[in-house]
Amino acid sequence: MARNYPRLESGGELTRLMIEHYGQALGRQGGLPVAWVTSGAPVELLRAMDVLPVYPENYAAVCASQGAVPLCEAAERLGYSRDLCAYARISIGAAAIGDDAPFAGLGRPDLLVACNNICGTVVKWFQALAQRFAVPLFILDTPFLPDDTINEHALAYVAGQLEDLVRWLERRAARRLDRARLADVLALSNETVALWRDIRGLCRAHPSPLSVPDLFVTMAPIVSLRGTPEAVAFYRMLHSEAEQRVRQGVSAVAGERFRLLWDNIAIWPRIYHFFSQFPRRGACFVADTYTGAWDTEVEAGEPLEALARTYLGIFLNHSLAHRAERMAQLIGEYACDGFVMHANRSCKPFSLGQPVARRLVTDATGVPGLLFEADMADPRAYAEEAIAARVQAFLEALDGRAS
Amino acid sequence: MSTWLGLDIGSRTVKVVLIDGAGSIIARALAPAGYDGPSVAGELIAGACAEAGVERRLVRASVVTGYGRVRFAQADSEASEITCHARGARHLVPAARTVIDIGGQDSKVIALDEAGRVSDFAMNDRCAAGTGRFLEVMAQALGLAVDQLAALHALAEQPVPISSTCTVFAETEVISHLARGVPRAGIVAGLHAAIASRVLGLAGRVGLRPVVVCTGGVARNAGFVAALGSAAQVQINVAADAQFVGALGAALLALARRHEGR
Repeated sequence: MARNYPRLESGGELTRLMIEHYGQALGRQGGLPVAWVTSGAPVELLRAMDVLPVYPENYAAVCASQGAVPLCEAAERLGYSRDLCAYARISIGAAAIGDDAPFAGLGRPDLLVACNNICGTVVKWFQALAQRFAVPLFILDTPFLPDDTINEHALAYVAGQLEDLVRWLERRAARRLDRARLADVLALSNETVALWRDIRGLCRAHPSPLSVPDLFVTMAPIVSLRGTPEAVAFYRMLHSEAEQRVRQGVSAVAGERFRLLWDNIAIWPRIYHFFSQFPRRGACFVADTYTGAWDTEVEAGEPLEALARTYLGIFLNHSLAHRAERMAQLIGEYACDGFVMHANRSCKPFSLGQPVARRLVTDATGVPGLLFEADMADPRAYAEEAIAARVQAFLEALDGRAS
Repeated sequence: MSTWLGLDIGSRTVKVVLIDGAGSIIARALAPAGYDGPSVAGELIAGACAEAGVERRLVRASVVTGYGRVRFAQADSEASEITCHARGARHLVPAARTVIDIGGQDSKVIALDEAGRVSDFAMNDRCAAGTGRFLEVMAQALGLAVDQLAALHALAEQPVPISSTCTVFAETEVISHLARGVPRAGIVAGLHAAIASRVLGLAGRVGLRPVVVCTGGVARNAGFVAALGSAAQVQINVAADAQFVGALGAALLALARRHEGR
């Protein structure tokens, strides 16, 4: 299928960066201890202590883009349900089949750090990994924010656990936390986050210089390399490329007619195939609720309390009403004509309540929303014809509204 | 006479409609899709043209819809079933604000705005429950033809609750009811109630604003329509030629696209 969107020049650098990252993790360069962490873990603390964070979620997404059914099946043979998150199944399946997994697997962790601000599944998933690899696990418990405010109890509770985490890491990794080093890492992390936010913000331009699939592809460093000079350098490069596109009027989607908001995680196994249905009809995804999960800087002040605030306040730890408001806000800021919600079988916290959110967002903005079922990583949950029919009908309806 | 052609290559049946410039049907044809819907469509076009006394090459424009639409090369353009059902239903019932289409392998609820444009829609997700195919399987388990379901429904004293939404498990449930000597009429009414409740679940996502029009093959089943009406507490209008509404919509789209110069 012909590409009807321009290739990013930063893509080569991204590939190099991620290969180097995984090479480090697998090759244990410098003998650094390796900690497998969840995407919402306070990774700045680990980096400041020279513990190398590695993300099973990111690895699962990479595996999924290459076809991860054998890994899912390996986990299912162990008795894990098909209803379990596919990232968890891929990770557990890859651990079970060892060297036969893509890139000969993710190696072995020395430590595990799971934070339940993204979901409850990570707790059991990481417990399963802890059992399999016989390594220690730290669970950081971040209370859900039902009224969308971070109260003092929650803050003190999480900050206290972060102190425990520091002591735990010091003991396990035989290293001391250097506060000056932490300040440096936090500064790098904040710079990365700010750059990423600005890059996403450039998509407010008409036409948009990037589309959400571009963001999906380039988000790996914001997750995996936050707090490193390499991530800052990469996002500076991507920022200047996107800025140049805006100056030159280069669009991500030729003949942009409709601007859309995307909700939920990407469909990694079919990312190009799925998203190619939109540019064909002049529709560009200009904003999303997923890649913005890493858009909050760690505030100045006492670092553990500031980290507690940041990691408590992530998007998925908020109420449905808050998330719907955020979507409506994005639709306004990015001048979207509609929104598309991926009901992601794997990700329950992201997907529960979407029918209600869809109604709230349409009521608030007047723009239509499409909700369809698929999965971020398990291609067996992708019904080709059914999805194509929905997407086409939605775009035809947008066309009808425009004419 | 100028004519426009609409095709609906569905998962179970193929429908073809020829209309004149006023949007009136001048010929129509239907056949099971079998394993090769597009070639069935080709035969049906020839039949419909012969019936109308129109040469195929003189048909002004054509639009194809349904699951076979992408692979059918003989039409000028294609459109989604949502768009076509909405257009066809609105043509037949100009006051329509909600279209419930129950086809062979999917069911959908379409909300229309005052101007008849699609404002929202919902479709069943990756499951055949609440579709025509579901009823075919159940009819077979009951030793009935699909056309007999409505008559039996009318004889039911009390619908027998069917709890499974999965076609395979529901069939098992039907068989076990039969084994216990439950009369078929009650089972049929229970199946209709199960589909109605499934469809109302979809309708809940987009609303059920009157006037409600039911299209698709299952709309011809008066038992189901009665079950849907009583569950929804709203009058359900059955489109004339309910099975042809998608093909009619496609033909109307062909006519409209000509007017828009496309």
